[in-house]
Amino acid sequence: MSNLAILPILLPLLTGIILVFLNKRLPLVRLITRIMVLVNLAVVSIIAFNVIQNGTIVLKAGDWTVPYGIVLVADPLAMLLVVTANIISVACAFYAFKSLDEQRERYYFYPLFQLLIAGVSGAFLTGDLFNLFVFFEVLLIASYGLIVLGGTKEQFRESFKYIIINLFSSMLFVTTVSFLYAVVGTVNMAQLAERVGEVQQDGVLTTIAILLLIVFATKGALFPLYFWLPKSYTVPPTVISALFGALLTKVGVYSILRVFSLIFVYNLSVTHQVLLIMAGFTLVFGVIGALSTNNVQLIIAYNIIPAVGYMILGIGVFSATALAGTVYYLLHDMIIKAALFFLVGAMVAYAGTSDLRKMGGIIKNQPLLGWLFFIGALALAGLPPFSGFIGKLLILRGAFEEGHYVLGVIGLVTSLLILLSVIRIFINGFWGEPKSEYVQNENSIKGKILPAAFLLVFTVFLGLGAEFIYPTVQTIADQMIDPANYIDSVMKE
Amino acid sequence: MEIIMSVLAGILFTAGVYMILQKQILKIIIGTALLSHGAHLFIITMGKLNRGKPPILSEGVTSYADPLPQALILTSIVISFGVTSFLLVLAYRTYQTNGTDNMEKLRGNDHE
Amino acid sequence: MLHAAVLLPFLAAFFIPLLYRGVKQVHLGWFVLLVPILLFGYFLTFIQGVMQGVHTLKTFEWIPSLGVNVTFYIDGLGLFFALLITGIGSLVVLYSIYYLSKAEKLGHFYVYLLLFMGAMLGVVLSDNLFVLYTFWELTSISSFLLIGYWYQREKSTSGALKSMMITVFGGLAMLGGFILMADITGTASIRGIIENGEMIVNSTLFPFILILVLLGAFTKSAQFPFHTWLPDAMEAPTPVSAFLHSATMVKAGIYLVARLSLIFAGTDLFFLIVSGFGLLTLCWGSYMAVTQTDLKAILAYSTISQLGMIMAMLGFGTELAILAAVFHILNHATFKGSLFMVAGIIDHETGTRDIRKLGGLFTFMPITATLAFFGTFSMAGFPLPFLNGFLSKEMFFDSSLHFENASTIVEAVSPFFPYFAVGGSIFTFVYSIMLFFRTFTGKQRETLPKQPHEAPIGMLISPIVLVLLVIIIAFIPDAFGHALLSPMVDAINGSVGETHIKFWHGFGPALYMSLAVLILGSALYLTREKWQHVYKALPGKLSAAKAYDSLINGLINGSRKLTNVYMTGSLRHYMIYIFVFFIALVGITMSVTGGFQINFDDLAPIAIPEVMIAIVMAGAAIATIFMKNRIAAILVLGIVGYGLSLLFVFFRAPDLALTQLIVETVTVALFLLCFYHLPNFDKKKESKSTNAVNWVISISVGVLVTMVGIASHSTKLFEPISDYFLKNSYKLGGGDNVVNVILVDFRGLDTMLEILVLGLAALGIYTMIKLRPGKKEGND
Repeated sequence: MSNLAILPILLPLLTGIILVFLNKRLPLVRLITRIMVLVNLAVVSIIAFNVIQNGTIVLKAGDWTVPYGIVLVADPLAMLLVVTANIISVACAFYAFKSLDEQRERYYFYPLFQLLIAGVSGAFLTGDLFNLFVFFEVLLIASYGLIVLGGTKEQFRESFKYIIINLFSSMLFVTTVSFLYAVVGTVNMAQLAERVGEVQQDGVLTTIAILLLIVFATKGALFPLYFWLPKSYTVPPTVISALFGALLTKVGVYSILRVFSLIFVYNLSVTHQVLLIMAGFTLVFGVIGALSTNNVQLIIAYNIIPAVGYMILGIGVFSATALAGTVYYLLHDMIIKAALFFLVGAMVAYAGTSDLRKMGGIIKNQPLLGWLFFIGALALAGLPPFSGFIGKLLILRGAFEEGHYVLGVIGLVTSLLILLSVIRIFINGFWGEPKSEYVQNENSIKGKILPAAFLLVFTVFLGLGAEFIYPTVQTIADQMIDPANYIDSVMKE
Repeated sequence: MEIIMSVLAGILFTAGVYMILQKQILKIIIGTALLSHGAHLFIITMGKLNRGKPPILSEGVTSYADPLPQALILTSIVISFGVTSFLLVLAYRTYQTNGTDNMEKLRGNDHE
Repeated sequence: MLHAAVLLPFLAAFFIPLLYRGVKQVHLGWFVLLVPILLFGYFLTFIQGVMQGVHTLKTFEWIPSLGVNVTFYIDGLGLFFALLITGIGSLVVLYSIYYLSKAEKLGHFYVYLLLFMGAMLGVVLSDNLFVLYTFWELTSISSFLLIGYWYQREKSTSGALKSMMITVFGGLAMLGGFILMADITGTASIRGIIENGEMIVNSTLFPFILILVLLGAFTKSAQFPFHTWLPDAMEAPTPVSAFLHSATMVKAGIYLVARLSLIFAGTDLFFLIVSGFGLLTLCWGSYMAVTQTDLKAILAYSTISQLGMIMAMLGFGTELAILAAVFHILNHATFKGSLFMVAGIIDHETGTRDIRKLGGLFTFMPITATLAFFGTFSMAGFPLPFLNGFLSKEMFFDSSLHFENASTIVEAVSPFFPYFAVGGSIFTFVYSIMLFFRTFTGKQRETLPKQPHEAPIGMLISPIVLVLLVIIIAFIPDAFGHALLSPMVDAINGSVGETHIKFWHGFGPALYMSLAVLILGSALYLTREKWQHVYKALPGKLSAAKAYDSLINGLINGSRKLTNVYMTGSLRHYMIYIFVFFIALVGITMSVTGGFQINFDDLAPIAIPEVMIAIVMAGAAIATIFMKNRIAAILVLGIVGYGLSLLFVFFRAPDLALTQLIVETVTVALFLLCFYHLPNFDKKKESKSTNAVNWVISISVGVLVTMVGIASHSTKLFEPISDYFLKNSYKLGGGDNVVNVILVDFRGLDTMLEILVLGLAALGIYTMIKLRPGKKEGND
């Protein structure tokens, strides 16, 4: 039974490895990818359902007693995120067939993609801090492979920056894990939580917490550590941008969420105060970035940042309401970011440029693309009844309830500016006089709309059908407030 | 001893950071290599140094060095090696396609 | 049933596109028309009950676990608005059938219109704050789409953006207020909150809440200085202007203030803000209307001014004022609706809306002119017994004079109100008269784009109905008063007394005010040429439109400038930001929490060989910085690596030493191989300041990491878990070499993944070398 918890990692891992060897036969690779992403989604959904119904599954890798071996903890939070990641994976797989040139497909896009998913799922599932580092490295190196895939000048230029910055944070990560090991003598997260709790996060532990925060904040693109993000996310092909935008930064956010709700919760006036301040700046500077450019892909890439700001705000506020908001926003944001990258990708392919000033009137011939983008834009800005609203409402409610009025107001204003930044794309790109040269690109968006529509269905569902998901999220948040829940479910094994 | 080693690791970090702040790609990569040495030195220092025997079980020995940090370093060394090799090839290709190894010339502001 | 009623427009909106494809012969509007008519009939059935004080409440659980349920509530206030929306809606749809030809994108038009209708019904019927907010934003969105209906026109799209930005801004502020209200009272139900209104008013946050909520109401109802979106919204097709931008959507803010009056009214702050901004809007709007030349622009500013007047009366908060306010909502919908339709007819039949070009249309279109007469004169508040506008205007004057049980602030301020009321009304009189006379009388000044003729009968039906209502209401105001207005006053005020509305109030101040308006207004109209330079000078640069433009442009340009300053693309800059942040944050945290400790008790003895190696390594590390030759730099780096593996030997880690040795050798080889292809070190020296920055940053980082390292090592609070490995390695793992057992067994997953990382790196390297962008540039 508990072995189920490894499947979300194992399936894409094996798929990826098999695909490496089948590489010469592209049609077969595509077919296997298609089948396996669907199978994987089905499997993780079943596991998630099971976990939500019957409680957390703890898998002791190699069956070693906790905390000596590595544990995988499939709790409801991790499983919800894994399912969402796999929804993205399905959409990306189908988008890739239609959008990538054969060269890139042939040069190991699919294996790298599947191994990235394995790394992301592992990062969500692992209950061991050092193992988290290892999964980070798996997903990062897969992302390095993807970001350079195609070998254009811009890709190399931006990847070098991306990798150096990540490398620094990785090195800081292992160093910090070793510091933590020196003080508390373990790397198992549940035991860390237990031991840190026993000494009330004494002495150097808060400083170590801040080091970890810097590590995760670099991956998660918080102010002032997100500089690498906008350009490096827009140089690779759309499908890769979508994968990155949807998944990579969210792993960073998830790690902050986990570590700062489970382990370091005894000196909130330092750690969570820092989170709040960073959240405020992330919101403001992120959305200012999104307003600063006419490049549609960059606008979407910049919009990753204020979304992270919202989620961190929820963690910083640290009440059950706000945490529920963060979790809900996390699910929403993964989906909407992938969808929007797809849609602007199709838009750029159709218009033949990513410069908004050179676009116009696309909706005349591509009404479906236009309306899907419109829905996406509203969802991104957190307008009801789409998914972004629920998360934002909860986070802001939490902020107001706990007396963080300034941040609440910043959150509201940011949401207006996010709307401005994306509705500009709609007005200048889709509305206006159509440009004649588009007709030749009529075929370029074939098959790109469906994956985006598939994702937007979930956005609408997360909004209108919130009642199906929200109670679970609420339970997750309620349990998160008390680390004992997680500790018990892992340590009793 | 641990304090001396911590200081040494700190010096490695210092040198690494200094190199990362340079312009030329190869200096930056040397910086990352120094950083990873520093990190590994920290890990081993965080176990207790010079106590007991190497953690290879043998009759009659009761005290061993802490094996866990060693295991972690091993994993980390291998990963760093992978990343460093990747980075070296990337550096070569970046230079080849962009025609410069000066990061200040690779800002890419053409691309608003 | 009630839910189905609100759902109906949405359902219809869903099916319209299908119908549009299928049925081409019949104008789509005929099918759409069924929806508001059915709903109007349905809502009529509630009148009886509401008159007797029976309120209907229906709940559909949407997100019960969040306390967000779609609860619809029908009382006098909600019902009145529901009837207004569906009633005017029916007339507008009918009108649009003749206004919009079949060549237009009718599918889109009616989808947006139905979405709006459903959303607006949702706003006025929702009992849940967050559901109300949802519908509220939906009205903003559908209004955005309708204004941008002719999306090729730049003016339409910029008008659409403006309306969306301003109304969504207000909506978000309102959401903030709602969140606080729900937080304080513990419920999201409006009825529940009203019951606990005391808690909100007594809260320290009350001014904050009030301002947030009023921002929502003021932006939506185009109150000064947020009114600027409404004139630009006139880019929408005229039926839309008649429906959304005069009769319904812009009244949503009025609705909200009315709905929450039971909580806020009676506080001085509410009184000052709402009456003050209302009167200001009344005056500014009517003044601006006089300076306009486009028929629709005049009507837009007129709407702004009238909304200000209604808002002011709600701010007065007396029973008389509230009755006057609700009465005027009804009257305004009738005369302004008919006037918009008339403006549409003129535009449609002459090809222009510019009053400088129009004139003498009475002879060509007598029916339209007659309709316009009733509309404009009612709007002017002209004292004729068959104009409903006069009745409510009179009540407005009356209410501006009477404040019972007033607090000191109210007493201090209220004596000025009648002057504002008269001032605003004078200009209202001027533009109303101007609208009528300059369009229909006199001589035609220019040849018009089209030869003018009377509109088709279908287009006239709706304005005729509205004008008939103007007259009927004027004759039997009490019938409407009892059926609609009294229950509404009850809902706003909590109680209702006398609601008798009469034409003749006797000789009193209100009548003198009306006469003053009549005389001064006529004088101002007759001498209008003399005032032109004033009209040109006054809004000038002060207009809110200019403020909005510079705000948005400033925002975009400012963002660009700011972002370009720090997003330089330079890796060095990015790393500097990161390191500086690291130094600041870690430094501060460590000093704040007293994290630094040093403990010499439990240290390994210092051994000479290790220290020697350490010194060599430190020297080598620093030497890399100063190496001028790349080969030398690599070799020095190698010394650090080999030194590290020697240290591993001393530190009882033979496996590590071995691995490090091998890895270091391969790495050095790789470095050499790779550097063979890269250029040599730059001989140019960096500037002193750059070097100084680098040194300060790198030394600070190094020192801080060292300090945290030492502190960590000095505070070993728990026994490490590794004893278990030593004890069980042989027994359970079957190996003597504990490190190996950990790697392959206890932490086997790490090892497996570490191999995966190597494989991935190899894959990445392979693609980097092999895949070169060929001729077919494959960027997506």
